[in-house]
Amino acid sequence: MRETLRPLLPLLRRYRRAYILGTVCIILSLWLKLQIPRYFWGALNDLRDLELGQSEFALEDAGGLIRTAAFWILASALLSGPIRTASRILVLGNSRKLSRDLLEVIFARLLKLAPSFYERNPTGQLMSRCINDREYVRGLGGAVYMYMAETFLMYALTVPLMFTIDVQLTLIAIAPYPLFLYLARRIALKIQVTAGAAQASLGDISEKVDESLSGQLIIKTLTLEEFDLGRFRERCAEFKRLNLRTTRLRALLIGTMMGLGGLSTILVLGIGGERVATGAMSLGDFGVMLTYLTMLAVPTRTLGFVISSLRRGTAAFERLREIIDSKVSLKQESDSLGDGIGAAALRVSGLTVIYAPLSEQPHLTGSIPLEHIGGDSDVSRTVLDNVNFEVPAGTTLAIVGHTGSGKTTIARVLARMLEVDPGMVFIDGQDITSLPIDELRSATGYVPQDAFLFGETLHDNVALGSPDAGRSDVFEALTGAQLAVDLDQLPSGMDTMIGERGVNLSGGQRQRTALARVLLLSPKLLILDDTLSAVDTHTSDAILEHLRPFAKDRTTILIAHRLSSICHADNIVVLEEGRVLESGTHAELLASQGWYASTWSWQEQSRVESDVAAQLEAELNADFEASQKPKEDM
Amino acid sequence: MKRLWQFVSPYQRWLWISLGLLVLTSALGLVQPMLIRFAIDDYLMKGEMAGFGWILGGVAIAVLGELAGRALQAYTLDLAGQNALLDLRLEVFSHLQRLSARFYDRNPIGKLIGRVTTDIESLGEMFASGVVTILGDLLNLIAILSILFWLDWQLTLVALCSVPVLLVTTMWTRVRVRRAYEKMISKRSQLNAYLHEQASGMSLVQGFRRERRTKRKFDEINESLCESQLESVNWESILSALTEMLSSVTMALILWYGGGQALEALSLRASGLPSTTGGVAAGMTLGTLVAFLQYMERFFGPLTELSMKYTVMQNAMTASDRVFRLLDNDDKMPESPTPFQGPKTAGHIRFNNVVFGYDEANPVLKGVTFEVRPGEKVAFVGATGAGKTTILKLLTRLYEVSSGSIEIDGINVKDYGLKDLRSRVGIVQQDVFLFAGNIIDNIHLGHPEIDDAAARAAADELHLDVVVSRFPGGYHEPVRERGKGLSSGERQLISFARVLALKPAVLALDEATSSVDSRMEDLLQQAVGRVMKDRTSLIIAHRLSTIRDVDRILVMHKGELVEQGSHSDLLAKKGFYWKLYRLQYSPAN
Repeated sequence: MRETLRPLLPLLRRYRRAYILGTVCIILSLWLKLQIPRYFWGALNDLRDLELGQSEFALEDAGGLIRTAAFWILASALLSGPIRTASRILVLGNSRKLSRDLLEVIFARLLKLAPSFYERNPTGQLMSRCINDREYVRGLGGAVYMYMAETFLMYALTVPLMFTIDVQLTLIAIAPYPLFLYLARRIALKIQVTAGAAQASLGDISEKVDESLSGQLIIKTLTLEEFDLGRFRERCAEFKRLNLRTTRLRALLIGTMMGLGGLSTILVLGIGGERVATGAMSLGDFGVMLTYLTMLAVPTRTLGFVISSLRRGTAAFERLREIIDSKVSLKQESDSLGDGIGAAALRVSGLTVIYAPLSEQPHLTGSIPLEHIGGDSDVSRTVLDNVNFEVPAGTTLAIVGHTGSGKTTIARVLARMLEVDPGMVFIDGQDITSLPIDELRSATGYVPQDAFLFGETLHDNVALGSPDAGRSDVFEALTGAQLAVDLDQLPSGMDTMIGERGVNLSGGQRQRTALARVLLLSPKLLILDDTLSAVDTHTSDAILEHLRPFAKDRTTILIAHRLSSICHADNIVVLEEGRVLESGTHAELLASQGWYASTWSWQEQSRVESDVAAQLEAELNADFEASQKPKEDM
Repeated sequence: MKRLWQFVSPYQRWLWISLGLLVLTSALGLVQPMLIRFAIDDYLMKGEMAGFGWILGGVAIAVLGELAGRALQAYTLDLAGQNALLDLRLEVFSHLQRLSARFYDRNPIGKLIGRVTTDIESLGEMFASGVVTILGDLLNLIAILSILFWLDWQLTLVALCSVPVLLVTTMWTRVRVRRAYEKMISKRSQLNAYLHEQASGMSLVQGFRRERRTKRKFDEINESLCESQLESVNWESILSALTEMLSSVTMALILWYGGGQALEALSLRASGLPSTTGGVAAGMTLGTLVAFLQYMERFFGPLTELSMKYTVMQNAMTASDRVFRLLDNDDKMPESPTPFQGPKTAGHIRFNNVVFGYDEANPVLKGVTFEVRPGEKVAFVGATGAGKTTILKLLTRLYEVSSGSIEIDGINVKDYGLKDLRSRVGIVQQDVFLFAGNIIDNIHLGHPEIDDAAARAAADELHLDVVVSRFPGGYHEPVRERGKGLSSGERQLISFARVLALKPAVLALDEATSSVDSRMEDLLQQAVGRVMKDRTSLIIAHRLSTIRDVDRILVMHKGELVEQGSHSDLLAKKGFYWKLYRLQYSPAN
């Protein structure tokens, strides 16, 4: 446990002074609290002596004596009030700050982790860790620390006082502690395991909710509500089972600790009582002893809570550490004195990507369902197998191939979203794994198939990577992506809120927004991964037309299905099952009569066949188009 | 509170048992000081040791009983709580499922996740240290008070002087704590939403090197959440310290008053007069005093905890407010109380002057009228944003028309049960959604009428078997959250197979094959041709080549239906379609 919690120390150290001050306050207020029984029982002892006529005081002085004692009790109570308040504000406040800092640390790490981390670990799981697990860790720095300090101090202060009264009786009172603490420890270890499992299960729930809510439209149209609820129910039931188990263990632990308090009292009552009866012990001393024990009963009970919370917090922190300790697999800083990225000439040699079996991929506990691990399908998968090509600076390479042939994987490798071993991909002669990620990213513009929009305005979504861009620049990028024409459909033009809570853009509009982002960024290496799949052909052609001058002085990677949209590329690579099937220019590939040629003729044929009629009529109605123009604007 | 009960009541048996145990354990706890008093006064003070062991035994039994009772009580309470929470969670979840598409347009998912997880967890804490415990505490307090009055009513009155002070301050801080909590929870929700959004779009944040700005914004929200939390910490601290302080003040009061009385009694005795009042010498024995003190300890103990529990309760109440507000959200698609119940028929679709907009100001459909006869194959074409997808969303009542009506087989879509309607119309969507599981699970999706064989048959029909054979697991290849790890084309095929397996009367394809490569698409087109036979089919595609075989083409432009007819008719008409077609098939410029 100590090992697990060690990384928490640097965070705690920031508030060392507040913690020290808080602890001093706890000590002071406890010390003051402990004075009260002394005065109280001291005064009562005197009274009793007086009653028995054994007092050295005169009756007249006794009133003052009691008043003095009462005064001191009152004074310590009043004094301890503000001190106690201060101790709580310091310690509990610190825990909130600790929790804030912890989240900062986690988020900073999340910002650095490679996209593959997000692929392996569902957002819902990450959220649950950041929110629910952190809450338990916060407890460690706050309530748990405070109660722990109070409890230990209470013992540290009370037990010596008890010793000053009666050594033997005190020893008897604390005799049962070792056994009970041992038992408590055993139970606490079980709590740690169970609580960890329960937290993981809560993560599953969060993941499931995220999944279902994100897919609501589809769930609704396919009427999958019941199926989905069934899956949700399974996870909730598991969570309930684990929670109940934790409760059972906690109840057992607290029961054990209460039993301890009770046993001590009985021992003191029995043995001390006998002494009082035989006159070996004064009644006052006996009373003080009993009061101290009563005072100890509460912290002993709290000790059960402290131990179990400590364990639960440790389990939660373990889960947070999985994020904090996740390796940042992409190189952040350059250690070689490279020349930086110039014209972005690309060379890919022997690129091989093998997906390890799920069970061997690093992932957060619980983010891969157990039934997937170690099963028949849990084997490695070769996605790219010895792929070689070169893209001279300023040229365009097109990658085509079947669904699942590995096109996107190449794009992701080039965009440094997928880690590869050194020695396979070079930019301007430098191994991309040796280049600082920051420099690489600023030189690369990657437009994926799935366009993600942030809940911001269209303008801000486009200006994502270029915060200093002016409105005219943004508009220009929108024009390039053929989205400017859609602006008048949006309620506030460029300032329309889009994304989760804004206007629903169509799939094609989303893709064009993503494209505009990259156009604005004006990168040296442009990667378009089937970016226009949801854009209609007319618009898509217009975009490609606009891109041509843009791509002229940039290295461009184009992935598409429609060959006519990529046939102008300087070089074309055909992929099949992760291997390069053929490559060359459009003309070369046609000449070689391979996959490309047959696909081209198939696509062309369907084009030409149906085009005949149109071609004929086109000539006849050259000016008809103009007369249709006004109609288009309605 | 009342609404929460509705979820607890099925498990109230456990609740009552728990309460019963609580009373029992409290009684056992309260007996202990009395036994000790008895032991001191009747045995120790008199030096009488015979029978003392019995008293000790009694104390031991009481202690054992108390702790066993407590443990059992905590467990039974949690049993009721966890069961109720499970039901509540499921209720919230299925309520979320019933909420309309519009609701999801307005509410970020990050916030909603918090409702089902964090907020309901807060409610769970309330169970652990909540209602029953507080009720038990109150009972305990009343019992203690009665005993104290019985022991010495005057002393009790004196001792209770501090209670009004406590009550007043609690009331005073209550408002502030509540306000602080409300602020805190809304900040937390904001943080969750931001975290969710940024984590979902992390590749963009990194790709566009937004890390620093994102972090700054995140830290800002985090900081303001922390500030609001610190505020509530201050109030909690004051309240708890005050309770503790008052408990000590009470000690002083007891000494001052009790001691004073004792002295008075002594002076009276010294002056030879009979004692009339209480005090150590008269009514108040030492044993009573010890008992009195122990009871006071037991009295203030729960009170201190009560202030702690109070903040937990506050948290839970705010959370439950939000959960129930969500449950009250009635943004559902209204369903007819007497839905039409007929067999799945051919699927005759009619749109009558349908007007619709996602928001009032911007109509997406501006009066669209058309009819699709049973078994007819109809394609919708038009530029992005022309309103094609919206037509399908209205047909399955994801959204409600603003005016006009939509009929299937002569029945308004509003008069169908929602589920029935959606099972009649199978839409293969542009956005693909896969569940974590494996491929075959994702095809039959728990529908009891589709077995593995039927699912495979549907998949094979689309030539998915060819694709799947590349995976080591075949149809049992694992699919991760949202289909991560599969290519877009593979995902589209799976979601197509899923719809096909359901055998809907109306089949609608919304850019269903945009990510499937051309060769695959050719095979797919043949398959689609087969499955569309004898089915009313609606197709949206931007590649006009894929729709040439349909019976009729409807051309949409900016929310209006501008043309319709067969491919050749439309070409002859030289209107929009002709233009679109020429644009697509003129040699690539």
